[in-house]
Amino acid sequence: MTGNSEISLSKVARVNGAARLSGSVLRYSRLVDYPLIALSAAIIVIIGLLVLPPIWTLIRTSFANTMPDLSTAGFTLDHYINLVTGRNLAVSAVNSIVFATCATILSLIIGGILAWLVERTDAPLKGLAYVTTIVSLGTPYILYVTAWLYLLGRAGPFNDLYRTWIDPTSTPFNVNSLTGMILIEGFLWSPLVFLLLSSTFRAANADMEEAARMSGASILDTIRLISMKLARPALFALALFVFIRNIEAFEVPALVGMPGRVDVLTTELYKSIKEVPPRVGYASAFSVVMLIIVGALLFLYGKMSKQAERYASITGKGFRPRPFALGRGRWIAGLVILVNFAIVLALPISAILWTSLMPFVRPMRWMALGTTTIKHYEAVVSSPYYLGLALNTLMVSAGTATVVMLLALVAGWLAARRKPGAAIVDQLITMPLVFPGLVLGIALLEIGLRFPIPIYGTLWLIGLAFVIRYMPYGMRYAYSGVLQIHSELEQAASVSGANIRESLRLIVGPLLIPALTSGWLFIFLIAAKEMSLPLLLAGPSSQTISVAMFDLWANGQGGEVAALGLMWVTFMTIVATTFYRIARRLSLSSFGH
Amino acid sequence: MSATEADLDVSLLSKTFPNTGEGPAGGVQGANFALASGTFFTLLGPSGCGKTTTLRCIAGLEQPDSGIIRLGDRVFFDHSSGTNVPLNLRNIGMVFQSYAIWPHMTVFENVAFPLRVAKDRRYGRGEIDRRVDEALDTVELLALKSRSATRLSGGQQQRVALARAIVRKPRLLLLDEPLSNLDAALREEMRKELKKLQAQIGVTTVYVTHDQAEALEMSDHIAVMQQGRIVQLASPRDIYRNPSNAFVAGFVGSTNWLSGMARGDGSGMVVNLANSQSSIRCIQRKVELEGRDVLVSVRPETITLRDVHSTVPDRTNRLMGRVSFAGFSGGSMRYQVNSNELKLEAYGSPDSTWNEGDEVCIDFGTDAASIFEA
Repeated sequence: MTGNSEISLSKVARVNGAARLSGSVLRYSRLVDYPLIALSAAIIVIIGLLVLPPIWTLIRTSFANTMPDLSTAGFTLDHYINLVTGRNLAVSAVNSIVFATCATILSLIIGGILAWLVERTDAPLKGLAYVTTIVSLGTPYILYVTAWLYLLGRAGPFNDLYRTWIDPTSTPFNVNSLTGMILIEGFLWSPLVFLLLSSTFRAANADMEEAARMSGASILDTIRLISMKLARPALFALALFVFIRNIEAFEVPALVGMPGRVDVLTTELYKSIKEVPPRVGYASAFSVVMLIIVGALLFLYGKMSKQAERYASITGKGFRPRPFALGRGRWIAGLVILVNFAIVLALPISAILWTSLMPFVRPMRWMALGTTTIKHYEAVVSSPYYLGLALNTLMVSAGTATVVMLLALVAGWLAARRKPGAAIVDQLITMPLVFPGLVLGIALLEIGLRFPIPIYGTLWLIGLAFVIRYMPYGMRYAYSGVLQIHSELEQAASVSGANIRESLRLIVGPLLIPALTSGWLFIFLIAAKEMSLPLLLAGPSSQTISVAMFDLWANGQGGEVAALGLMWVTFMTIVATTFYRIARRLSLSSFGH
Repeated sequence: MSATEADLDVSLLSKTFPNTGEGPAGGVQGANFALASGTFFTLLGPSGCGKTTTLRCIAGLEQPDSGIIRLGDRVFFDHSSGTNVPLNLRNIGMVFQSYAIWPHMTVFENVAFPLRVAKDRRYGRGEIDRRVDEALDTVELLALKSRSATRLSGGQQQRVALARAIVRKPRLLLLDEPLSNLDAALREEMRKELKKLQAQIGVTTVYVTHDQAEALEMSDHIAVMQQGRIVQLASPRDIYRNPSNAFVAGFVGSTNWLSGMARGDGSGMVVNLANSQSSIRCIQRKVELEGRDVLVSVRPETITLRDVHSTVPDRTNRLMGRVSFAGFSGGSMRYQVNSNELKLEAYGSPDSTWNEGDEVCIDFGTDAASIFEA
């Protein structure tokens, strides 16, 4: 046997030798593209290390006995038993579902009507609709929520007018109720619904609507039978997406619901981890249940949006959506946009302005104008504490956005071009979507406490949490960006002699700049206003603006919250606009359109 | 030509795709061809026939399942020895169907790119300038050197793509339907220019197209592909005159199909037409088709319409018929002539004056009829 194998070995050697003589043939004796596989493997490892430990930690803690010092030992089902036998889960689950369903419907109605008017008709004031949306997306939730708490609250104009004109002894509307939560959450989400739906309506092929019109359908018939039918899968998918986000919502339940003792899943979870000592095991078990619920909903969402894609009718060449002429209805449409501007932007901002200028919370009256004061602004400006907070927030948000977009560039490219490992990369990077902010916060809290390097209570831990949370968003931007780059542009680079690194650096990267910058800006903005993660993870030196506002609010310093928030919104709007302008100019100069 | 003196040698190349159920699966099976240096070679076929897959395998954009691809003494791919030169080290020029001009670069930067990323040697700044100028000059685009790539017309983009493909003076140029995105007039113009340019720089060229007129006009050799296989590889003239099967006859140029029963007759064959009492004579002899149902291909331009009283020239088949359509198309007259149940297309000179309803003789040479298995 050994003789045989020797012979065959020497044969191979001779063949190799011959081949080498006839022109360096075996220098590339590989059918496998190693650099590509190495890149793919590296990305999978990095993302895996970010995504998997939080899930693992939650599962492990949920099954372990927790010691007073937060260390864990042994196996137990107690946490799950407590969860199931306690009354809280059932009550808060029902509240969560009612809250999320109604808020979703409200925001879909507001955002949907607005999006259709702006994208598919010749309604006036379209610019205003966009400004409303952009400014409100940059506003921290907490600021919005406090504004609405004031507007709908005991001292706010609605209850105040009722008392003045109808019944001076009663307060007809209690904002700290499920209804109040639904209203505020619905208003909060309508701008994003508007943005997402307007891209759906924009992508809709006007030919289909015109074909209906040419067949004799009226505008209303066309909307009912064609536009809505075509948009329906996208609408359902979006509704489910907003529903999931509402189930995960924390700001509104915490600020509006908790004071009125209306508990939903997230506030219940928050309370269990903020108790002294924190019920880490219970919270983890709770978190695992939340993960499963959200995971199931997301699975459903994935199926639905896949179906929605089949309806997408973008035709590519020479495609220009043509708007409906509304005729005299234009002015009604304009009014709708104006009312939306009032509800989503003007009213809350004026409420914030009012509270920031009043020495204490009081109704909007002319006579109160005499007590106008700028002491809240003085307090904010004169304190170096707030400057530190602003710096913290900017640093952690900008850092997160940069890291996420760099990861997303490579991951998006691998996935969009179906390179080896694409499916795993895609699965891993979208996995954080199952984390409600609070659940991810609890997972990272546990990781931070046990991590060998002392990152607990530092900005690093918050940054880490942000990166995990926002990776899926960055991926969406990068992935669709890559899909828009004709693959022949890359193939041309490879044929020209470029290797993977050069292709990514010289071709894909630069061509992706518009997608990467808008992704960066989006992540920067949502990270800067994120509250639930820093609320759990911030240490004394790593506070962010949102956390500070939450604390101020909890201390009853509404005036200072308003002053700080208003200045912050102004600042962030300037930052975002400037960034957008610069990015636009850059892409204009390099792409010429 | 023996394989050793061939410049590009592709043997037993196969690549199949898992069928996704969406459209034709494409892929190529057992493709063989060897090209002498400087050949303009065209892969011709309908969509999904495997022509683009073959081209992409040569480029290295697809990895074949088996076979050998060799350029000169350099083996690009050999499945049995596990050789697969990465595509960026193959030094091939390629023009893509979409041109793939990078929009974030100027014309100069686009053309300079292959020199800047070259792995086999470093190009100095001066040399890059000189080479790019040279390439742009070849495609007559030197004046637009510093223009942004987004401000180019389709024809200009195509020239930039060509300049980029030849700037490194590759040994092999691959062209993937480069004219399909141009309008008709420009396409005709670019056919000429592309052919002239190829002859001028003398680079071995593989051209992929589904347009038979393009293929016939430009190529030295054509491989007609059908369902992943090369069904005929020959010069344009041979392909047109002696198509190897009914598919090739039908795909390359338009033709009339007559069906009938064949029998041997001296050195040629006679076919008794199915729907008429007539028979036609053919100088070709295919013994294996004798006594069987066959299809006869007669190209429209080989048919001459003559007066019913004219005498039959030598070595000519004659059918009697009636003109059912006469259309003037500028350079020629296009006729449809009915003979019993047969409908035949025929071309005449623009001055011919047959009218609809005229009785005519349909004459075509015994060498103009090709017989195929039905």
